[in-house]
Amino acid sequence: MTEPAIEVTEVWKKFPMTRNHPGFKEFIVNLPRFAGRNGKTGFFALKGVNLLVKKGECVGIVGRNGAGKSTLLSLVLGTLRPTAGRVRVTKKITPLLELGAGFHPDLTGRENVFINGVLLGLTMRETAMRMDAIEEFAEMKEFMDMPVRTYSSGMYMRLAFSVAIHAEPVILLIDEILSVGDRSFQKKSKDALLTLIRQGVTTLFVSHNGQSVKEICDRVVWLDHGEVAGDGMPDDILARYDSSSS
Amino acid sequence: MTRELRRQFDLLRLITVKEITLKYKRTYLGILWSLLNPVLSTMIFYIAFRIFMRIRVENYTLFLVSAMFPWTAFSAASSLSASSLINNVSLIKKIRFPRQMLVISVVIAQLVNFLFSIPVICVVVLLYDLTPGLSWIAGIPILVVVQFTLTLGFCLALSMVNAYFRDMEYIIGIFLNMLFWLTPIIYPVSTVPERYRAYMYINPLTSLMSSWRELFMRNRIEWRGIGLSFAVSLGVLCCGMLIFQTLGRRIDEVL
Repeated sequence: MTEPAIEVTEVWKKFPMTRNHPGFKEFIVNLPRFAGRNGKTGFFALKGVNLLVKKGECVGIVGRNGAGKSTLLSLVLGTLRPTAGRVRVTKKITPLLELGAGFHPDLTGRENVFINGVLLGLTMRETAMRMDAIEEFAEMKEFMDMPVRTYSSGMYMRLAFSVAIHAEPVILLIDEILSVGDRSFQKKSKDALLTLIRQGVTTLFVSHNGQSVKEICDRVVWLDHGEVAGDGMPDDILARYDSSSS
Repeated sequence: MTRELRRQFDLLRLITVKEITLKYKRTYLGILWSLLNPVLSTMIFYIAFRIFMRIRVENYTLFLVSAMFPWTAFSAASSLSASSLINNVSLIKKIRFPRQMLVISVVIAQLVNFLFSIPVICVVVLLYDLTPGLSWIAGIPILVVVQFTLTLGFCLALSMVNAYFRDMEYIIGIFLNMLFWLTPIIYPVSTVPERYRAYMYINPLTSLMSSWRELFMRNRIEWRGIGLSFAVSLGVLCCGMLIFQTLGRRIDEVL
């Protein structure tokens, strides 16, 4: 039995129900009611979720909009804290939650690669050593020293994707991004991910696209209204998920 | 140095350099503005207070800039850091890293900016027939450390509170304005009525700014003032870190 890479135990996550801020007048009028508002109203995005991901496993997460998929990823990443329960992660995580988070439009491609590389877990030297590979994969040799604001959105995504997969992920969190660039780059990026996964990178893969989940994952978890509705072989779970949503 | 420590250091360095260079990225003069700004302000002060409004304080332009430039570093860092977390929502939500770094980089960037104004102060000193002393070599780093501690503590608290309570951004503008007049920057402490003078020193900026002035105008390292202000600054830093830590747990939900 290999050790678990991700351990999510009985996790609940409540978000406060934020309306847009009431104005000052309403605030004064309703003052007594605001006193305890943090404790009372709220929306549970996850209700007692359990998930055990072994090292090297690739788990797909499916579910409708608002089922709690992204919340789960953020909890595993650690940018969110669970309201109750426990999340344990043993290794360094590279998130592909939002490609190019932290890219600054006025910095050049190369400068952004440095910042992003270090944010994703490399040192500056390691990033410098991988610079050629990153450039090459993103297919943008001659644009690296131009500010990112001049890039097309395809170029932007390609570069961001390229940094992320070169950051030596041990655990990869992917939130619906296989549609990067044109068709040939889509194939290339999918192949690169598959290579990483075969090398034993633990992966959580959130997607609406049953086809790509089937191709990549060896297990699927189905979230429904914040609860695990199914967990098992991709074919079984996806069939049940599809029939429930139609 | 372990690899992880090395990486944290690299990260801080990268975002600090970004903070310093970014605002000049699309200008022609670039980082030169950091030098040009204090030069031009000094000239304006000189003309204003030499010709239009004569003030009977010895070497008034020097008197003014020796406290005004460190103050500017403090106030600029404060108003910029108020929005430093809010402006980096995508980073905070999507990538895990020490969020303090966003604030630390703003504070360092403003202090670096201040260092550019030291040559200008130096020239003003020479213009008044004074000479910069060797004590500057020890005094400047010491005072920079004290000011860094104070500013960081204040900015950590401010940036986090502003994420929850956005009115803070406007309150801080007024607050800094008030603080400016409560700190002996454009007037000496000696003009304050005797019975209020003791209260002036509750404000850690009072002894800090006076120490800068002593150093630049009289080459003196004012140990008592520095010690006092460092002690208060450490207190402010502890409070700031505590607030940042406690409120930081739920920041993801409010951004």
